[in-house]
Amino acid sequence: MSKVRYPAKYSALGLIKHGLMKGDWPQVWRHHELKPSYDVVIVGAGVHGLATAYYLAKNHGITNVAILDKGYVGGGGSGRNTSIVRSNYLTPEGVRFYDRSVKLYEGLSADLNFNIMFSQMGHLTLAHNDSSLRTMRWRAEVNKLEGIDSDVIGPDEIKKLVPYMDTSENTRYPIVGALYHPPGGTVRHDAVNWGYARGADIRGCEIHQQTEVQSIETADGRVVAVDTNRGRIATRTVVNCTAGWASLINVMVGLKMPLVTHPLQAAVTEPVKKFLNAVVVSGSLHVYVSQTDRGELVFGASTDPYASYSMRGSLEFTEELAGHVLELMPGIAKMRLLRQWAGLCDMTPDFSPIMGITPVEGFLVDIGWGTYGFKAGPVSGESMAQLIATGTTPENIKAFDLARFPEGRLVGEKGAAAVGH
Amino acid sequence: MSSAAATGRRLDPQAGEVIDRGSPLSFRWDGKAHTGFEGDTIVSALMASGVDVFSRSFKYKRPRGVLSATFHDPGCTVQVGDEPNVRAAHRRLAAGMDVSPENVWPSLKFDVRAANQLVGRFLSAGFYYKTFMKPQRLWPAYQKILGRFAAGGVTAADAEHGYYDKRYIHVDVCVAGGGPAGMAAAVAAARSGASVLLVDEEYHLGGHLRYGGEAELAALAELRAEVAAQKSIEVMTNAAVTGRYDMNWIAVVQRQPGISVRGRSIHERLCKVRAGALVVAAGLIERPYVFEGNDLPGVMLSTAVRRLVNLHAARPGDKAVVFTANADGDACAQDLRRIGVGVTVVDARTGGNIVSAKGGKRLKSVDLADGRSVDCDLLVTAVGWTAATPLLNMAGDRPVYDPTPARFFPTDRLPATVVVAGALAGDGSTAELIAHGTAVGATAAARAGHGSEVPVPALARVAHPELYRSTTHGFVDYSEDVSSKDMFAAKKEGYDSIELVKRYTTVTMGPSQGKLESVNAVAIMAEAHGVTDLNEIGTTVWRPPYVPITLGALGGRGFENTRFSPMQSWHEQHNAKPLVAGDWIRPEHYGDAAAEVAKVRDKVGIIDVTPLGKLDLRGPDVPKLLNLLYVNKWSKLAIGAVRYGVMCAEDGVVMDDGVTGRLAEDRYIMTTTSSGAATVWEWAESWLQTEHPDWQVHVTPVTTGYASMNVAGPKSRELIGRVVEGVDLSNDAFPYMHVRTATVAGVADCFMWRIGFTGELSYEIHVPAAYGLHVWEALFDAGSDLGVGAFGVEAQRIMRLEKGHFIVGQDTDGLTLGFGADLGWCIKLDKDDFAGKPELVLQSQRENYQRLVGLQPVDPTIVPAEASQIVEGAKKIVGRVTSSRMSPTLRRSICLGFVEPHLATPGTVVTCQLPDGRRVQLKVIEGLAHFDPAGARMKV
Repeated sequence: MSKVRYPAKYSALGLIKHGLMKGDWPQVWRHHELKPSYDVVIVGAGVHGLATAYYLAKNHGITNVAILDKGYVGGGGSGRNTSIVRSNYLTPEGVRFYDRSVKLYEGLSADLNFNIMFSQMGHLTLAHNDSSLRTMRWRAEVNKLEGIDSDVIGPDEIKKLVPYMDTSENTRYPIVGALYHPPGGTVRHDAVNWGYARGADIRGCEIHQQTEVQSIETADGRVVAVDTNRGRIATRTVVNCTAGWASLINVMVGLKMPLVTHPLQAAVTEPVKKFLNAVVVSGSLHVYVSQTDRGELVFGASTDPYASYSMRGSLEFTEELAGHVLELMPGIAKMRLLRQWAGLCDMTPDFSPIMGITPVEGFLVDIGWGTYGFKAGPVSGESMAQLIATGTTPENIKAFDLARFPEGRLVGEKGAAAVGH
Repeated sequence: MSSAAATGRRLDPQAGEVIDRGSPLSFRWDGKAHTGFEGDTIVSALMASGVDVFSRSFKYKRPRGVLSATFHDPGCTVQVGDEPNVRAAHRRLAAGMDVSPENVWPSLKFDVRAANQLVGRFLSAGFYYKTFMKPQRLWPAYQKILGRFAAGGVTAADAEHGYYDKRYIHVDVCVAGGGPAGMAAAVAAARSGASVLLVDEEYHLGGHLRYGGEAELAALAELRAEVAAQKSIEVMTNAAVTGRYDMNWIAVVQRQPGISVRGRSIHERLCKVRAGALVVAAGLIERPYVFEGNDLPGVMLSTAVRRLVNLHAARPGDKAVVFTANADGDACAQDLRRIGVGVTVVDARTGGNIVSAKGGKRLKSVDLADGRSVDCDLLVTAVGWTAATPLLNMAGDRPVYDPTPARFFPTDRLPATVVVAGALAGDGSTAELIAHGTAVGATAAARAGHGSEVPVPALARVAHPELYRSTTHGFVDYSEDVSSKDMFAAKKEGYDSIELVKRYTTVTMGPSQGKLESVNAVAIMAEAHGVTDLNEIGTTVWRPPYVPITLGALGGRGFENTRFSPMQSWHEQHNAKPLVAGDWIRPEHYGDAAAEVAKVRDKVGIIDVTPLGKLDLRGPDVPKLLNLLYVNKWSKLAIGAVRYGVMCAEDGVVMDDGVTGRLAEDRYIMTTTSSGAATVWEWAESWLQTEHPDWQVHVTPVTTGYASMNVAGPKSRELIGRVVEGVDLSNDAFPYMHVRTATVAGVADCFMWRIGFTGELSYEIHVPAAYGLHVWEALFDAGSDLGVGAFGVEAQRIMRLEKGHFIVGQDTDGLTLGFGADLGWCIKLDKDDFAGKPELVLQSQRENYQRLVGLQPVDPTIVPAEASQIVEGAKKIVGRVTSSRMSPTLRRSICLGFVEPHLATPGTVVTCQLPDGRRVQLKVIEGLAHFDPAGARMKV
């Protein structure tokens, strides 16, 4: 594990010093000319790509790394998600994997010297009928066996946690219980992206924004170079860390994987004083909601029913969302929706990612994250870095290999999707 | 000046005023009584009675007053009763309103948190990313402190949802913006024969003409008369086009539409408009100037002053400096002189500039670039305009900045059915704007199919100084307390694109959605980068909604589909406990499910199974369809026979099951699970329409066309015999798994089949829905001496578990392929092809999947909770319980569950961990059935 010194460590004292001397903070990451070759080229400067670079440098001393992005740092799914972090998944493989991510998130502010504002406010997944309650129980039992703080609670306890919730019995979708996961919560997604970018940059990795990968050259079944709008880069290792465009990058080396891209919409309200101190999810009503420290409610929903690369919001989405939120919390009808947007999700048949090596030597993937990508950023970066550095697939991502599809070893996480997709 | 001293700021009557001095209104502000007039906004009434400060800012808690006097005025957001974030510079005053400032602590006059200003230099944008990191366990405490600064009003847990409704509108032309160009466009479109919806955000049509001089008011009167004369124009004021989606699907929010439904007034209404053409005549938004002190109460835009003076007769100050770069600023200076306000004009066109504004809770003086300092309580800026382009953006355009007129203009990327009118297209006199609107209106009508297009005259682009920031730093985003200094610092720190600086500083992310701030933010970034062309910086993408909409209006009344069977009234009379099952509400039980089970096992019971999905299949190729959808074989189903079938999706996962019976040569009825009815219908149609359009099959969903009831129990034949005519019910003539059409209780065209979900002799009768209740009641009348009783879903669940019948979705999950659900007996891999076959072939060659088995707890009194995990060792999961009940028939607990293949052999004892942590033993039984595995009871 390499230790580095930031030229200006972030701290309260630092803020005071910079405030008094009116000095500028150093650049959070630097701009570079593109070099003719790198040991590792990571496609996509989102949380997965940045974390991979960060852990390559920090844990393995591999620093001749370029992270390429056709846009800006954290401009894709990493900056469009609703920033919920949790580990109450359904399969033991999933639970262990996301639990490692939660653990990394818990130490990330200190590790990155960047406050990612991880608020472990607790996470509630509501059940409105006996079959969803059974799924909650299933998740709780798997979680408990894996040592995760997670259990099924009843309407009275839900009301205590969220006083705005309509837990009466005479609603159209009565709340019969919930899966309660106290360590779950939200982080500030941009801070995670920027913190990893800063940590990777200071260790020598190069972040190249506005750098679009146009093709990938292979020879004798292995990667040899990447062509970009800023020039050619020779490299023997390319990691596809994109979302939304993952299949298009794969096609550059002639690979087709079982991915379908769907938009996922989200929205945010105007701020009001804090009244919601938990992340609330309802699968039956296709909605999840949390309140930021600034007072805005952040909403997400299910993926759009059609495959598309469009990132536009629809009116129907906001109507359905609002109707369902008001089913849960009728008192907030006069709050106003301020903004809506969409991100892209690469869905796999079993709702688990595709990670690791591919039939093309030197071409690695960390893709197919569906709606779970942000939560998994730290652990994915850590695991992919280990794979790149050691050449051996770490135990915790073995189940997510590409070969599981032909071999019939699917890792079914559909039941743990926040909402029906 | 203190607000207490400044009473009597109401002016003498003004030519264009919209207040009704004959209708005074009393209201409360911050706990004190005030009065205003009908037609006042909350802010104009307060200003007329001497109030300067309406809110405290987000981060530094600086006092804020009027800036733009419009809906998006960042300093004029207040709480009205239980409604947070009311735009007080827009919302009409109403009698008895209880208005209070938001987010002040302890009060609006003195907020201790304003001390933040003293340490502001340490709290640069994004400061929170740089501290509060250690220890992590203290973050919640820091968070609470930060939370105290959060903006916004308060909601109440029990606030009334209110009554919201929606309206659908189909028009030829929708005009967004009711200024001169928009009004003229509406009139021209109507004259071409088009139906028109004219939408304006203000309470009156007219745009800037409303607060103009004599000539403008005269032109406005004429335009209003012309609009009123067109019967095909619907005018919607206090409404805004909030979104434009594909094919001119347009969202309009109508605020306080003044409509009551069942005694409750509608707060806001979402109108969903499909328009042939959209005219965007949204006009220009006056842009603030960035300089030190630009947020002090008393610093206002020229349009704000003109609105307050000319529309509401409120005097905004006593001594003014007017910093002007255009004719609107000049007109504002004239207005102020007219009402007796002393005015010092600083003219940007001749090199004048302002440097900073000084003051506390109100402006006291302004420092000018020429070194003078002028005492004043009002500083008016007129430095230019932001084109209101969001709707164009939503229609696919990326407006381009033109430095000469110093604003953004649309390009030719718009679809033909979206047309721009008025100031968005260029500058002009009132007459020129009207002429432009007229031509655009006729063109829009033509593109919507009425009349013909006319040439649209070009509007000039009049040169305007590029004025964004003075030599000092000031606020760029008022709602977020982001200054130009913050933006420079962010850029230097590496957040150097407009998207990154937006995310880092939160500039333009506040409730005014960037309407006032966006172009200044782009200009400041350009300055920070040392470039002069704003196009190099780009703009952030405008996303809907254009103005915020209440969740109530979006959600509407909440039409949630709810289905009841025709027998619902009977169930209610018999105290059925309702069970929400997807769309359907069904009886879970009538008091005692175990007793209901005993009744069925001993005598006879009836259950309402109307929600069963039912598809009527007709045509010669039905067997082909059945062979494709089901995993088993259907070619030889005889007329009068019924068969059970399972469907798998293409991934081999079990998706639905049910029975299909053949009623006649070309007629079949398929039943599906209750929750799968719609899915299976779509599934069948998608195969027929995309893969086999040549097959002659008609699929008609008839789920609600029939009321369905299952009569089960040893005495069911006797009961049925009393109500059915014309069917020989003997086992030889009508055996198990057969169907007959019949007249039941006098109702013709019923069909019934013998199947056995409960494991008993049973007849499932399907009756034309309108006669459902009649037949249901007739069965109970006929069977009273047989001890007939109703049973609910719970009793059925117990009995099917006793019999070992699985439920798709409960005893299978999203990864259960056919063989895992013990369906090997009916999967026919020798069939040509069927949905899921390739995956099932693969599965048949593997062993690595969990198996569905019958399980019995070794301790018969323990009922493991469903979803309890089956484990090996400390924590290795090797299966789970999918269904469990106490069996009243067997007087022991029974289960179904999944286990790893090495545990699936009958007789194996597995360990189950209960939710409370206890571990119990379960024994794998032979097959899935706990009761009557041979099926003797149902085949009699």
